[in-house]
Amino acid sequence: MPQAPNTEAMDEHLKDVVQALHGAVNWAMPHLNDPKIVDKAIQDCKEILDVVIEGKVSEWLK
Amino acid sequence: MFSDKIELKDFEKMDPEYQDLLKRVLAIQADCEIGGPHLYVENILPTAPTKLDQLIVARTAAEEIDHYRKIARLAGEIGADVSYVLSRPNQERYVDAFRGEITSWEHFAVFGFLIDRIGRYQLEEFIGCSYAPLERILPDVMREEAGHIDFGTTKTAELAAKGGESKVKVQKALDYWYVKALDMFGRSDSYRSERYRHWGLKRRTNAQAREQYIKEVNPLIEQMGLQIPDPDKGRHYS
Repeated sequence: MPQAPNTEAMDEHLKDVVQALHGAVNWAMPHLNDPKIVDKAIQDCKEILDVVIEGKVSEWLK
Repeated sequence: MFSDKIELKDFEKMDPEYQDLLKRVLAIQADCEIGGPHLYVENILPTAPTKLDQLIVARTAAEEIDHYRKIARLAGEIGADVSYVLSRPNQERYVDAFRGEITSWEHFAVFGFLIDRIGRYQLEEFIGCSYAPLERILPDVMREEAGHIDFGTTKTAELAAKGGESKVKVQKALDYWYVKALDMFGRSDSYRSERYRHWGLKRRTNAQAREQYIKEVNPLIEQMGLQIPDPDKGRHYS
């Protein structure tokens, strides 16, 4: 059974996305009293998630 | 009942019905995993009540995207490209509960309480299932789903305990999601459900799973001091 196209590439890309999101959240969690750090992490997550939600898969894998 | 364990290398030798059903169930699961973030990220990430809540919303979305990734990989390995669900409009999702958008914290809380719990039920169907690669991804995915359910349950209970307008809003959210949750199990007389069970891809009938769910959530709703919604009002399937 041949794999669907881009199975590996998509998997790798989404691993990177998930890692970046967890990285931002984990970086901010110990600094909840520091608005500068927390707001930057939330903004980073928002930017990453907006790209995921937009779902332009062909652009992700260029 | 089919009870063999199938690995990827065996998939091509399987009956076409098995192949079709496995591809279908993986596509629906992938759609549901990514459907959550599509419902709530835009409105709830910027507006959650506290910074901690905002970070938890982001982490929840990250975990759901990772669940999608794991399911999409399994589908891709058997030749099914499910990447189309990443960009489809919410209105075209397989499951009705994912066809709108979440615009309030009360709805986000109840979504975790009721709909993520359905996600757990869906995943439980695959415990001991005939496709071994699917069973192997379950422990991590189910552990993370349990976290989403706990968060949603805790927040729903907190909102109800505040009383007044907060309780009214959370009751309305409960009324909205409860019937959608019950519908997510599908028709009680579903032929396809019977075929999933025949091939060892699911364990319970739709009616059995729905009944167990009702027995689990109704006492929780009552403990929160909320009213159990009418289970038939607005239902599409029974």
